[in-house]
Amino acid sequence: MSDVSGHNAAAASLEALMAQVALGNRAAFETLYRSTADKLFGICLRVMNQRAEAEEVLQEVFTTVWHKAAQFDAGKAGAMSWLGTLARNKCIDRLRTLPLRTAFGPLELAAEVADPGTSPAQQVEMLTEGARLARCLEELEPRRRSLIREAFFGGFTYEELATRVQAPLGSIKSWIRRGLLQLRACLEP
Amino acid sequence: MSTPSLPPEDRGASATEPPDDELLAAELVLGVLGTAERRAAQARLESDPQFAARAVRWERRLAPWLAEFEPAAPPPLVWAQIRQRLGWRTEPPSAPGWWHSLVLWRAAAGVAAFAALALWLTRPPAPPRPSPPVVQAAGGEAAAAKPVTTLAHDDGTPGWLASVDRSRGTVLMVPVPSAPDAQGRVPELWIIAPGQSPRSLGQVSINKSHTVAVPPDARMALGPGSVLAITLEPASGIPHARPSGPVVAKGAIQT
Repeated sequence: MSDVSGHNAAAASLEALMAQVALGNRAAFETLYRSTADKLFGICLRVMNQRAEAEEVLQEVFTTVWHKAAQFDAGKAGAMSWLGTLARNKCIDRLRTLPLRTAFGPLELAAEVADPGTSPAQQVEMLTEGARLARCLEELEPRRRSLIREAFFGGFTYEELATRVQAPLGSIKSWIRRGLLQLRACLEP
Repeated sequence: MSTPSLPPEDRGASATEPPDDELLAAELVLGVLGTAERRAAQARLESDPQFAARAVRWERRLAPWLAEFEPAAPPPLVWAQIRQRLGWRTEPPSAPGWWHSLVLWRAAAGVAAFAALALWLTRPPAPPRPSPPVVQAAGGEAAAAKPVTTLAHDDGTPGWLASVDRSRGTVLMVPVPSAPDAQGRVPELWIIAPGQSPRSLGQVSINKSHTVAVPPDARMALGPGSVLAITLEPASGIPHARPSGPVVAKGAIQT
């Protein structure tokens, strides 16, 4: 899974597994779990920022995969993107049922410190697209950039971000929305 | 598309304009909406295909970031809990011997999965058949029905699946994707006929299926009683005359 040359084969076999899962093949489902649980748990752990919650969500993610694998369309997204998006979505759904998170420390929106940007991507499926996203993100004003990243990786709401940044809710919304539209314009000129 | 200059707070005033939908879809995907707004937006995914399409496009735009999440191994119990949620287990997980049976179950399940996968992989681009095509109208089934030999690790979990075709002298190898050896060794496949020494069939992949051609003088060994084994060997000099590294997976040939 981690070596680059084997990536396409690994991705193809994930897609084959998804097809089998859609047909109700339990053994394929177990293999899918073994191949993807680490990645998806990594997503849950970071977004939920709490182990027990992350484990709960991971269970939910895989039960959803079992029931909805047929909705996966290999022509539209890679299996790993589909699964990762689903996992992150489930995390955010879960977070919204929990109290607002105020325990997080304040967030500094340093005006000139650059974000780390994309790490050396192990998921090559996302490499070229990832480079584009990173480049477009670089073009954003640093404040917008770090807010959007913080929202993506931490699953924060506007309100939580406003508390953490100690800025008016309206400003936070406006920064993020402008950033998103700018991002879209850059990705799809 | 143009960037609408929105007043920060009152998007509701012109809630039907497409740019608003575009932003709402982005906010939904990014996850910044509060509980009630998120629910309302999710409900629109169901009822409004255009809106749903916007959301999918935003998912695709942001998906590259998913690569940045560091993998982390979930505790083993999670898998058991998933099975329970799906109603696949009736006995309570605290029953004695549970781990043992889970391992056995997994081994059995893995074999079935890869048998299915092997069939799936072998079917669509059916290998060219030497026989006349006219009488081969239903020939696909014959290829699909080959028994699968599991090359299992010591703990019983499958490492590779092999589908032996004696008549063609080939072995289709389907790996359960695994990490490369830390010491840089590569897996080498061996066939061991009863009472004979191992014969190398060359290197096999750890993550993609491929067909191994068996040298004509070794094809006799492709039968019941023979064993397929995989050892970790230095990459240079393959096929080796004899194995020198540890056996990482093996299984008796099923034909």
